[in-house]
Amino acid sequence: MATEGAATAVPSSSGVSGLDLVKLTKVFPGGGVAVSDVNLHVDHGEYVVLLGPSGCGKTTTLRMIGGHEFPTSGDILLDGESLVYMQPHKRPTTTVFQHFALFPHRTVLQNVEFGLKMHGVGKEERRKTSLEALEMVGLEQLSDRYPRALSGGQQQRVALARVLVTKPTALLLDEPLGDLDRLLQLRMRVELRNLQRQLGLMFLHVTHNQEEALSMADRIVVMNDARIHQIADPLTIATKPATELVARFMGDNNIIRGKVVEREGTRLVVEDDHGVRVSVQAPGEATSVGEPAMVAVRAAAVEVVENVGGPALNSAECEIVFVEFLGDLVKLHLTVGGERMLAKVPGERYPSFRGREGEKIRISWREDDGQLLHA
Amino acid sequence: MGSSSTPEPPPLDDATLVALDEVEEGEAILAQQADTGEVAHEATLGGEEAGGGRGWATAAWGAPGFAWLGFFLLAPLIFIVLVSFWTRTDIGFSKTWTLDNYSQLFHDQTYWHNMLTSFETSLIAVFLCLLIGFPVAYFLALKVEKMQYQIGLFVVALAPFWTSFLTRSVAWTYPLMGREGALNQVLTKLGVSSLDDPLFDIGFSTTSVRLAMVQLYVLFMVTPLFFNLSQLDRTALEAARDLGGNWFSTFRAVILPQIMPGVVIGSIFIFVLTMGEYGTVTVIGGNGVSSVGTIVQSKVVAIQYPQGAASAVLLLLALVVGVFVITRFANLRKEL
Repeated sequence: MATEGAATAVPSSSGVSGLDLVKLTKVFPGGGVAVSDVNLHVDHGEYVVLLGPSGCGKTTTLRMIGGHEFPTSGDILLDGESLVYMQPHKRPTTTVFQHFALFPHRTVLQNVEFGLKMHGVGKEERRKTSLEALEMVGLEQLSDRYPRALSGGQQQRVALARVLVTKPTALLLDEPLGDLDRLLQLRMRVELRNLQRQLGLMFLHVTHNQEEALSMADRIVVMNDARIHQIADPLTIATKPATELVARFMGDNNIIRGKVVEREGTRLVVEDDHGVRVSVQAPGEATSVGEPAMVAVRAAAVEVVENVGGPALNSAECEIVFVEFLGDLVKLHLTVGGERMLAKVPGERYPSFRGREGEKIRISWREDDGQLLHA
Repeated sequence: MGSSSTPEPPPLDDATLVALDEVEEGEAILAQQADTGEVAHEATLGGEEAGGGRGWATAAWGAPGFAWLGFFLLAPLIFIVLVSFWTRTDIGFSKTWTLDNYSQLFHDQTYWHNMLTSFETSLIAVFLCLLIGFPVAYFLALKVEKMQYQIGLFVVALAPFWTSFLTRSVAWTYPLMGREGALNQVLTKLGVSSLDDPLFDIGFSTTSVRLAMVQLYVLFMVTPLFFNLSQLDRTALEAARDLGGNWFSTFRAVILPQIMPGVVIGSIFIFVLTMGEYGTVTVIGGNGVSSVGTIVQSKVVAIQYPQGAASAVLLLLALVVGVFVITRFANLRKEL
C-alpha cells in the first residue's frame, strides 16, 4: 500500500492506509461529552479541515489524535495501527499548538533542534537538519533570535519548522492562523497550503473560520455539539449544506422552514407559513406530504426580479430592510412577513438599490439551488 | 560568528527587531491598506498621555509611598550609619567621629564567626526552601486543574501565616522535635531509637534554628514560584512532550528559565529574612545559638549603640552583596 507521506494514496475505506477515527468518543469527567461517535477517514497527503464553532469538539478530536487527550472509547488507527495507547512523542503525528507554544528562552534554532535532540540526533546533524527546515520556511537568517524578537508570522513558521524536523506522517494544526492579523492570515493560508503540497503530508487543521476552511481544505469536516454534521469538499459544503447547522454556520444561506405540500417522484415542494413555495430535488428522501421540511437557498444564488407579482414557486416577495454595500457585492437584507432573507448581488448594482429600504421587491432562484436540509 | 574582519553593526534589541520585521510584513498590508487614520489616531492618544497635565496627579499618587520609605527606612538608615561612626559613652554616644567601632568589630572573632554561621544558615534555608517549595508550587500551579481548587489550596498553604510566629516556633520545637518530643516518643514506640539515646535532639541547637527557619519561611519561596508557574504557557509543555522531551528536558528547556525570576525573588526574601534573623534564633536556639542579629541586639541592650550600629551596618552590607549576587541569576527587569 501507499508509503508514508505519499502524495496520492488510493482512497480507502478499509483503513489500511491513512488515518481512521473509529467511533471516537470523549466524555470528560463530570459528564461533558466533547466528542461523540466520530468516524473519519483521512488519506495520506490530504488536507482536511475540522470546522465548527468553539466547543464543538474539533480541538478535542485533534488532541486525541495527537495523544494529548485519552479517548473514552473508540479507536484511532494510522495505517491500520492503533495509536490510542501510544505516548504523544512515539506517535507519527506532531501537533502545531495554538499560540505557537514556542520555548521563550530558546533561540529559534534551539527551538527547532529540540525534537531532534530529544530523539538523540547528534549535534552536527541536528543543526544541519534544523537549518534546512528553517530555510524551508524562510527563516534561516533569524536562527539566533529569541521568539519574542519575532513577529507573529515568523513565530508561526518557527512552530512549523520545529515539528517538521521530526518527520511526522501527519501534521495536526490547532487554529494555526488564529493569532495572526487578517492580512497575514491570508498570506499564511497560501504558504501553509503550498508547504503541505510540497511535503505531500497529511495535514489536519482545526479552525472556526469558514473562509479559511473553504480556501485551504481538500475536504472539510463540519462539527457541532460533539458530532460530525457533514464531510465534503469545500464546494459541496458551500453549496449543498447537509444540515441546518451547516447551512447556518457557513452563513449567507436562506433557510425556508415549512411543510411538504407536494411530492412527484424525487421532487418535493415545501411551503412555509408566509406562503413562500420552494421546489427541491431530494432523491432518496422519504419525506411525505404534510411532514415538516427545511430547504436552504444560498444568498448568492438568489436573483432580484424588479417586477412585483408573478409566479410564486421558487420566488418570494420581500421588503428591503437594509442595503449593505461591501465593495465587490451588495447584501440585501430582506424580510418576508418577519422571516429574514438575504440576497447577494454584484457590487456594481449598488446604485440601483441605494436608499430603497422599505420598498417591496421580488426575488427568485432556480430549483437546482435549493437544498433539502436534515435537522 | 565566523572570522569576518568587517566590524559588525551594534546588535539591535528585541523590540527593534520585532518592529523592523513588522514593518517588513506590514509592507504587504500597507500596499492594500490606504487608511492610515488609525495610526494617526493612536499617535494622538499617545501624545495626550505624555502631556504635562498628568505630572501632578502621578506625583500625588507616588507621594505617600516615598514619604513612608523616606521616614521609616531611609532616615533611620542614614541615622544608624552616622551613629556607627560616633564615639561610645556610658549613656549612649557623643558626636565625635571615630573608626574605633569598626576596627574593634574587624578584630572581633565572635562577630565574624556569627556572620559566617548566619550566612551558612541562610544558604541552607534558601536551598531547602527551593527543594521543598518547588514541588508544592508545581503541584498547585500545574497539577491542580481547576482555578478554584488552585486558589483554595494556595490559601490553605498560607495557613501557617494565620497563627502567631511565636506559637508556631515554640510548638514546633520542644513538643514535636525536642528530646522528649512527639517524634522521639513515636520512634521509641516503634523501636527505632530510645528516649535515652534519641535520634532527634535538636533543642537549642543550630540545626533546630535552621529547620525552624525553613518551615517559617518556605512560603516566601512557594508564593513567587506558584505565580511564576501558573503563568507558564502550558501548551509549551505539551509541545515539549509532543517533540519527545521527558520531564527533565522539559524542565530545563521550558520551566526553569521561566521560573528564574521567582527563584530569585524567593531567594532574596529568604536570604534577607534569615541572615538578619533574631527572633527565631532566640526562641528556638535559646542561649546556645547566636547570630549577627543577636550580637546587634546584645550590644543595644548593653547601651553600646555605636558598636551595635556598626555591626548592623556590616550586616546590611553583607545583605546588599548577597542580594546583588542572587540577582545575577536572572534579569528581573527583562523577565517581569
